[in-house]
Amino acid sequence: MRENGLMFAPIKRLFKNTVLRLSMVAAGLFAASSLVVLGYIYNATVTSELSRIDRDMNAELMELTEVYQRSGLDELNKVVFERMSREGTTTFYIYDNNGQLSFNLNAQPLFESEVTKPCWQKIPGRNTIGVRKFVYTVVDPLNPDAHPSTFRARGIFKQISPTVKLFIARDVERIMAPGERVTRALLISFFLALSLGLVSGIYVSSSFTKRIGAFNKLATDVRARDLKRRAPRNESGDELDVLAEHLNAMLDHIDTLMVAMRYAGDSIAHDLRSPLTRLQARLEAVGGEVKDPAARDALARASEDAGELLRTFESVLRIARLETGERRELLIPLDPQLVLEDIAELYEPSCEDAGLEFSLEIEGKHKIRGDRGLLSQAVSNLVENAIKYTPSGGAITVRLRRVRNGRSEISITDTGPGIPPGDRGRVKERFVRLEASRTEPGSGLGLALVDAVAEMHRAQFELGDGPGGAGSPMPGLRASLTFPRFKR
Amino acid sequence: MRILVVEDDEVAAEYVRKGLMEEGHVVDLAGDGELGLEMAKAADYDALILDRMLPKRDGLSLLQDLRKDGDTTPVLILSALGEVDQKVEGLRAGGDDYLAKPYSFAELLARVEAIGRRSDPTAAVTKLKAGELEMDLLARTVSRAGQNILLQPREFRLLECLMRHGGKVVTRTMLLEKVWDYHFDPQTNVIDVHISRLRAKIDKEFDTPLLHTVRGAGYRLQV
Repeated sequence: MRENGLMFAPIKRLFKNTVLRLSMVAAGLFAASSLVVLGYIYNATVTSELSRIDRDMNAELMELTEVYQRSGLDELNKVVFERMSREGTTTFYIYDNNGQLSFNLNAQPLFESEVTKPCWQKIPGRNTIGVRKFVYTVVDPLNPDAHPSTFRARGIFKQISPTVKLFIARDVERIMAPGERVTRALLISFFLALSLGLVSGIYVSSSFTKRIGAFNKLATDVRARDLKRRAPRNESGDELDVLAEHLNAMLDHIDTLMVAMRYAGDSIAHDLRSPLTRLQARLEAVGGEVKDPAARDALARASEDAGELLRTFESVLRIARLETGERRELLIPLDPQLVLEDIAELYEPSCEDAGLEFSLEIEGKHKIRGDRGLLSQAVSNLVENAIKYTPSGGAITVRLRRVRNGRSEISITDTGPGIPPGDRGRVKERFVRLEASRTEPGSGLGLALVDAVAEMHRAQFELGDGPGGAGSPMPGLRASLTFPRFKR
Repeated sequence: MRILVVEDDEVAAEYVRKGLMEEGHVVDLAGDGELGLEMAKAADYDALILDRMLPKRDGLSLLQDLRKDGDTTPVLILSALGEVDQKVEGLRAGGDDYLAKPYSFAELLARVEAIGRRSDPTAAVTKLKAGELEMDLLARTVSRAGQNILLQPREFRLLECLMRHGGKVVTRTMLLEKVWDYHFDPQTNVIDVHISRLRAKIDKEFDTPLLHTVRGAGYRLQV
C-alpha cells in the first residue's frame, strides 16, 4: 500500500496543479465536442444512408410480395431476374420454396468481380424477421488465388407465403467505408488533440508552477519572519510579474511597519523601565529605613513583586524582538553538544537536590546554525519546567540525536504529569498557563520564549508524551527542538 | 570612589547617588550627554555610570569620544535596551560592563565596585588569596589552611570569580555572566545550588565561614 502511495505521489501532486487541471479540462471539452461532431458526421454519412437503404429494401420486399400474391411464383421469378440483370445493381435476391433454394446470385455479375456463391445457411439470422447485417466475400476472377475481399451487406428476410421465403440484401460497403474513414480520421485527431493538450498542459503548468512556487516559498519565508525576502520579478509586466510587484510593495510596507513598531517598542521599554526601576529603587531605599519588621517584610515583598513585573516585561520585549526575526542574521554555525553540556552542567546539581535523575545523551556529531545564548535560554526554560513539574524520584533526560533527513533534534524528557494533547499548542502562546500550574510561580512566558527561539532558528518545537506514554497518570513530557539541516 | 552618573532621569539618578553615597562613594550627576562629556573630561573619576539614551548626545558617542582622548576611566553602561547584541555593541564602544534597565541597586553597586576596583585588570596574577584560602591559577589548585581542596572546573571558576572580587558583593546575574557566559536570568535558584556545593567544599570543615550570602544582593567572599 505504502509503496503504491509513494509511487503515485508525484502523479497525484501533478494532478493537484491548477493549470494542468485547467488544460486537462480544456482538452477534455475539446475531445467531447469533437466526439459530438464525430457523431454528427457518422450519422449524416452512414446512419441516415443505412436507414434509407432499409426503407428501400422494405418497399421492394412489399412490392415483390404483391407481385407474388397477384401473379404467382413464376411472375416473381421473372421480375426478380429482370431486376438482377440491370446494370450496376447492388441488390441480392434469394428466395426459397419449401426448402428448395430457387434463386441465387452466382450467375449475376453484381460487381466487376464475381460474388462467391452465397450460402443460404450462412446468412445470419435467416428465418428471423427484420434487418440482418452480414458479410460476403468476393474473389477476384483475374487473380483467384488472392485472398478474397470481404464486403459488408445488410438484408431483410420475409416469409411471403407459408411455402415461400424471400430475402433481399444490399451491399453497404460503399456507404460504410467512406463514413468510417472520416470517423477514423476524426478519432485519431481526437486522441492527438487529447495527448497534445496533455503534453502542452504539463509544459505550461510546470513553468507556471515554478513561478507560483517562488511565491509560495516567499510566503513561507515571510511567515517564518524573514521579512527581507522579496518575490522574484522577470520585468515582463505579465500578471504574475505585476503580482510580484504588488507583493513586494506590500512586504516593503510591512517591513516599514515592523521597524516602526520596534521603534515604538524600544521607546516604551525605555519609558516604562525607567519609572519601574525608580519604583524598585524607592522600595529598596525605604525598606532600609523602616524599623517595623512586618512593614519591612511587606516592602521587601513589594520590591520582589516589582522585580517580577520587570522580568516579565523584559521577557515580553525579548520575545517580541525575537519575533521580528532580525536577529536571524546573527546565527552562526555551532555544535549543539557544547550548548547542552553547559546546560547539563548548570542544572545537574539542581536536579540532584530535587531528587531527580538527570542524564545527558549525545548521539553522533552535530552542527547547526544558532545562537548559543538563545539556545541555552530555550533549553534552560525547558529543563527548569521539567524540574518544576516532575515529582521527586523522577528522571529528566536531555538528548541530542539525528532524526530524519539528517536533522538534529534536541529533546528534554521528564516523567512528570505532562501536558494534555489538547493544550500543547496553547501553552506555547504568551501568558497561557494551565490550571494545574496556576499555583506554581512563573509568568507563562517560558514556552512562548522557547517557541520564539525555535521560530528564529527555523526549528520545529514539539510537545509530546514522555516515557509514561499517553493515558498513564504520569505520561511525562517530551519537548523537542528539531533543527533544519546544516547548510554551508 | 569618585563616581560620575550621567542619567537624564533625575529621580533615578538621585536614588543612585543616594545609594552610592551611603556606601561611602562621592557622586556627581550630569543630566545630559554634553554636560556628561564635559564633566568626565574635567575631573578624574574612578568610575562612570552612563545611560545610553541621553538628550543632546547619546551615551555611546560620549563614550567613544572619551576613549578617543585616551581616557580609560571604567564605564558601566545603563540602558533600557537589554539585548545581548546591544550589550556587545556597548562593550565594543569601550564600556567595561553593561547593565540593562531595570536593575536593582544591589546589582548596580556590585558592578560599579567591580569595575572601579579593576586597577590592573590584566596584570598577570597567578595567585589569589583570601585569608587562609589560596588559589593557584597556573596549577589550577585550591587550598585552605594548607589543606588541598579538590574542585570541579566550574567550581574553580566560580571561586575564582568570587576571589577576584574579594570582599565585594557578586550578584547571581554577574556570576551567571562571568562563570557561565549566560545573559539571561533563570527562573530557579540554580546559582544558589552551585554556591552551596562550593560552600560545602571550602567552608564545611572549617570554623569560620568565608563564603557569605548577602540577602537581596548576592554572594561575598570575606575573611
